[in-house]
Amino acid sequence: MSELNLTDNKFIQFHQKIGFKFDGVKYYGYKGDTIASALLRNNIKLIGRSFKYHRPRGFYTCGIEEPNALVQIISEYSEPNTRATIKKIYEGMEIESQNRWPTLETDIGSINNIFSPVFPAGFYYKTFMGPHKNFWKKIYEPIIRKAAGLGKPPKEFKAVSTHLHHNVDITIVGGGLNGLIAAKSLIDTKFSVLLIDFDDQLGGILNNSNKVQSVNNQTPMDWISETVKEIENSKNIKLLRNTLVTTYNYINHLIAVEDKFVGSRPLKGKVNSTLHKIRTDQVILSNGHIERFLSFQNNDLPGIMLCSSFEKYMCRYGVIPSKETVIFSNNSNSESLVFSLIKKGFKPKAYIDSRSGENIEPDLFDLIRKNDIPLYTNSQIKGAFGSKKLQKILVEDSSGGVNEIKTDFLCLSGGINPDVHLFTQSKGLLDWDEKDLTYKPAQAFQPTITLGSASGQFDFNAITNEINEKLDVFGIKPVEINLKLNTSHKFKIEKLWEVLPQKQTIWSKSFIDLQNDVTTKDIRQAISEGFDRIEHLKRYTTNSMGTDQGKISSINALGIVSDLLDKKVSEVGTTIYRPPYAPLSFAAIAGRNSYEYYDPERKSPIHNWHISNGAVFEDVGQWKRPWYFPINKNETMDEAVQRESKNVRENAGVLDGSTLGKIEIKGKDALAFMNLIYTNSFSKMKPGSSRYALMLGEDGMVKDDGIICKISDEHFIATTTTGGAATVLGCMEEYAQTEWPNLNVYMNSITEQYATFNISGPKTRNIIEKVFPEVNFSNEAFPFMTFQFHEYEDTPIRILRASFTGEMGYEIYVPSNQALKIWEKIINFGKEFGLKPYGTESMHLLRAEKGYIIVGQDTDGSITPLDLGLDWMIGKSKKDFLGKRSLIRSDTIRKDRKQLVGILPINKNDRLEEGQHIILDKEIKTPMPMLGHITSCYQSPTLGYNFALAVIKNGQSLIGTKAFASTPELKTIEVEIVEPIFYDKENTKLAS
Amino acid sequence: MLIIDCPYCGPRDQSEFSNGGEAHVKRPDGSADIGDREWGEYVFIRANPKGIFYERWVHSHGCRKWFNCVRDTSTDEILKIYKIDEERPKLDSFKNNVKTPSGEPNLGSGNFTVKK
Ligand SMILES: [Zn+2]
Repeated sequence: MSELNLTDNKFIQFHQKIGFKFDGVKYYGYKGDTIASALLRNNIKLIGRSFKYHRPRGFYTCGIEEPNALVQIISEYSEPNTRATIKKIYEGMEIESQNRWPTLETDIGSINNIFSPVFPAGFYYKTFMGPHKNFWKKIYEPIIRKAAGLGKPPKEFKAVSTHLHHNVDITIVGGGLNGLIAAKSLIDTKFSVLLIDFDDQLGGILNNSNKVQSVNNQTPMDWISETVKEIENSKNIKLLRNTLVTTYNYINHLIAVEDKFVGSRPLKGKVNSTLHKIRTDQVILSNGHIERFLSFQNNDLPGIMLCSSFEKYMCRYGVIPSKETVIFSNNSNSESLVFSLIKKGFKPKAYIDSRSGENIEPDLFDLIRKNDIPLYTNSQIKGAFGSKKLQKILVEDSSGGVNEIKTDFLCLSGGINPDVHLFTQSKGLLDWDEKDLTYKPAQAFQPTITLGSASGQFDFNAITNEINEKLDVFGIKPVEINLKLNTSHKFKIEKLWEVLPQKQTIWSKSFIDLQNDVTTKDIRQAISEGFDRIEHLKRYTTNSMGTDQGKISSINALGIVSDLLDKKVSEVGTTIYRPPYAPLSFAAIAGRNSYEYYDPERKSPIHNWHISNGAVFEDVGQWKRPWYFPINKNETMDEAVQRESKNVRENAGVLDGSTLGKIEIKGKDALAFMNLIYTNSFSKMKPGSSRYALMLGEDGMVKDDGIICKISDEHFIATTTTGGAATVLGCMEEYAQTEWPNLNVYMNSITEQYATFNISGPKTRNIIEKVFPEVNFSNEAFPFMTFQFHEYEDTPIRILRASFTGEMGYEIYVPSNQALKIWEKIINFGKEFGLKPYGTESMHLLRAEKGYIIVGQDTDGSITPLDLGLDWMIGKSKKDFLGKRSLIRSDTIRKDRKQLVGILPINKNDRLEEGQHIILDKEIKTPMPMLGHITSCYQSPTLGYNFALAVIKNGQSLIGTKAFASTPELKTIEVEIVEPIFYDKENTKLAS
Repeated sequence: MLIIDCPYCGPRDQSEFSNGGEAHVKRPDGSADIGDREWGEYVFIRANPKGIFYERWVHSHGCRKWFNCVRDTSTDEILKIYKIDEERPKLDSFKNNVKTPSGEPNLGSGNFTVKK
């Protein structure tokens, strides 16, 4: 095992062995290990296959910036694309490598690498274009779908997550050296502070490297634990560990996701992750920096890793990925690794620096010389070679000679970048630093402070000044930080983006984006094809478009492009960093708005009666409505609907209409208001009468319909469609507040206060007289379209004579808590008259036979009342109402608008279908002029054949002529265009 | 996500509100004397500027009151919120200090350095 020591520390409990499986093989690690550190302990260096070429890949980093080491966690519902470098192991964890088949060692897809000329930059775009339109669908797509891609989607996944809101004065992102100093200085101040760190251990670089020897004369570990204790004991600072800030929105709104099961198996039914939604006055970004890699031939081989990551594995996890590594660098960040390796007694096999000897840090130079480490200055790695792992490298030295070094490991450092993702998400502007060769935060757009390396301040000796200067706004006591360092305090770098490739074999590639398999050759090709704007180049090559967003490589790409275009990097610009910083699961975003909580389910007050009477339900908006009531298991929907509808026409049926929207309108000016909202005029209506009414949009199109009951000029009750209730109320409120605030009128939804039962059929009167014996239901005492209030066993009810089926009918409005009593009474008294409950499907059929429209089915927002033949509903004498003026616009008075008609098949055995087009020719040809389409279609039990409603061009004048309905099989059915009414055309039944 | 200061309830998260488009659009009464063009403009045409915009909001998951708001659409800064019956505040009473991230308030949006 590649281990350094086995003494317990705060990071790793060596006495606690943890067993886990990787690709079916059992391994052991320790409590505190990540998947990566545990596998490296077991000398496993091959972790996955790359996205496009299926090249073998290892662990490139030791953190969230990892481009390669993505794995599938089988023991967590097969969660894919998990970063092995941050996910901690637990007993019984099962992990699989991704994107390989049949196994990681012998992957067949790696043949893609040989065929790589087929996958050049812009491959997807070029493939979409030719050579034939079927090429993509039939040849490329199946191949790509199979070969490319990351993990497999999880199965039977039911994560539980919750959301938590915070309102604080100051949020500190990152609890490293600077974050801890900032938090400490805010202890016991008037500010409420949130300190967030992604790690379970605070301290950042103090934990992950040997750069710092002491802080204020304490060891870094002692200083951290003392400081964290003080912060935890403070009253004004809340500490969130294992929490990653993924998003920095406008108005200092941060989103952070907390992993609740770090290092243990997520418990079923427990909250797996918490999404923190943070509002804060001030943000302090002290989230550090990210090391860059370098491009050269085969810079992707397993066995190549970033310098700081190698050091982190040593310091943090007590594991050494290799005891004989070679180091290649162009900057001072590698110094700390050399120091750590020598301290532990594993001196590097060679040190290669692109800088000349006098530009290398003197301390580093001395260290290397003193320890007899082979040193190559002014030198570059020309290439790395090996099969499935690194075996040798070629080094070009200052004299131009090429040296071969056999090694199984190589550490790289190409410089460091402030972690500017969050800063740029907040819309802050960056500036290119020509000395440190990186983009640094320049101008904040929001109240944002950046500290330490996150601000591009790479000098350890400048920490005290920077903090005192930038935190002065909070009026806190200045701090004094005394750091002793093991390495030089300043950062120095010399420009190197890529060692120019000299192609050796077809297998050799110089990568610029490891996750998306983008090579530096792709960049060159894209530029030569004219994609020289960085945002275009990114999309064309897919560079930095992976889930890691090119954290270790995107700046390198800018450098290469700037050289190719002979422009400054600041002129090339940078692509926009977008949230989230790292992938977060949909489960975390959804929180409790998932599964049964996703959308409220609304139920009628007598929902349970429907269940116990075998109703099959249909979703109407949020409502559950009985669709039909099968009499036994064998009855199909079709049979049930025919039976229910026939029964309404012959005896009587009762429908639960409780879901219909009900709005109460009151006020001195209620009449004037209703006259403005609906097309109809309510002025001459007598109190106690009701009217079918239409509501239009200002564009003149039908928006909703319903029955308006007038109790007095100052009191109305309106019904709306089930789905339109909220919109209608919203519209009324909007106009009452914004257009006609002078009108004294108030409105309120009473949908859920009342249940509505709709009895209709020729025997309705017999039944309702039994239910309410004290009420006189004669035509004279209770005419059509009137309503009355009654008391029934101390229950106030409203009875309305109206019909939606074309039969004689009554609607009964009952307070919801009394609804079941009345419903059962109706059912019981109705039995002897053959009364049966019916569902929404029969309701639709019955109303369609009468030509009654359903808003949203027979209309689609482009139909006026005139198109429906409902001219009689328009109060023409009214000066104004919603949409009135639109009814005489040149477009709405066009003669050839689509108008509502009825459709009957000539051959009565033919079956029509909703959505079929109405055409004039029997033969279907291209292009096919279409008149319109069928909006509602049913088999009528009364007529014995199919009938339909349709909206067709110039429909009203085509009534009486013949046409055709087209079928999906390109056949035609001969039909007759008729008046949109099929039953009781004289309306004798309604008032019978 | 904005914080919107409802004139009736105080500052609340944007998720409680719905946007109602341009404010101060006068509704002509529905009589036939209005020309097709004038009515058509009322029904269909709304401003969509980059910069200062007078718009309507409704506290739909709160008090359900409509109110007006002046917002700089290029920075999302809310400059003023006022009740529906209040006068339209004058343009020169706003001092817009916040520069857009792109530094180009008049045209499109995008990356500063790329555009240069
Ligand atoms: Zn409010």
